[in-house]
Amino acid sequence: MLVNGCLVLSAVLFGIGLVGFLSRRNIILMLVSIEIMLNAVNVSLAGFSQYLQNPKGQILALFIIAVAAAEVAVGLGLIMALSRARPGVSVEDLTQLKW
Amino acid sequence: MASPLVQIAFYYLAVASVASAILAVTRRNPVHSILWVLALFLHVAGVFLIVGAEFLAVVQVIVYAGAILVFYLFFLMLLDLPSEIKEFRFNEHWRWAVAIGVVFVALTWYAARLEHMPIVEPEVASQAVAGNLSVVGTALFTEFILPFEIVSLVLLAAIVGAVAVARKKTES
Repeated sequence: MLVNGCLVLSAVLFGIGLVGFLSRRNIILMLVSIEIMLNAVNVSLAGFSQYLQNPKGQILALFIIAVAAAEVAVGLGLIMALSRARPGVSVEDLTQLKW
Repeated sequence: MASPLVQIAFYYLAVASVASAILAVTRRNPVHSILWVLALFLHVAGVFLIVGAEFLAVVQVIVYAGAILVFYLFFLMLLDLPSEIKEFRFNEHWRWAVAIGVVFVALTWYAARLEHMPIVEPEVASQAVAGNLSVVGTALFTEFILPFEIVSLVLLAAIVGAVAVARKKTES
């Protein structure tokens, strides 16, 4: 069944994104890992949409894409402000709450 | 049950997207990572085509591969991080991260088996008459019109917020 393959693919992609988010030091690549996870969720929504013959899954996936675009804009803006205050994008250096 | 050709195409797309996701997460150079994510997104668009979500596939290519990844690439080139290539790319907890990911994938894979799936009668009535794209568009502009408008507000707030956060502080 196609929906089963979609769910397994979605789980594996989400796991890879999870590992990337938890293990990378570069904060930009952590955001990219979040994109991978959001895309994995979209795969499972599209699979369910085809399994149930119902367009609501695709519409929810469209909303997820829009929210991902908003998240990228705000996240990269924050990293921009961060890198202006201090060089480097490694999360391990971000230990103080304010500077 | 899908035809063998569709199944072969699906398996190719699934294997290629998993491989490009692994490469994207593990490459040392951030630009290479983002290019592998581009390959991942194009393959996922192919998966969307196979499951009959044509509009979603087009939006995936235009918005994700076209806009978001180009934004990431511009941003990386703006920051110019030559030291990233020399340093170790994972943090000290990466073994725990891999263990968590493997456990998560195993649990979800177990939960996604077909005998656990609920038997749901598909809603054939709406799908049979109209094409897929018109069904999606009609639902988007009738039943989901309020969330659709709220999403436009969210995007506006994100644009304004990004400009406000990233703006260079002027001396006042």
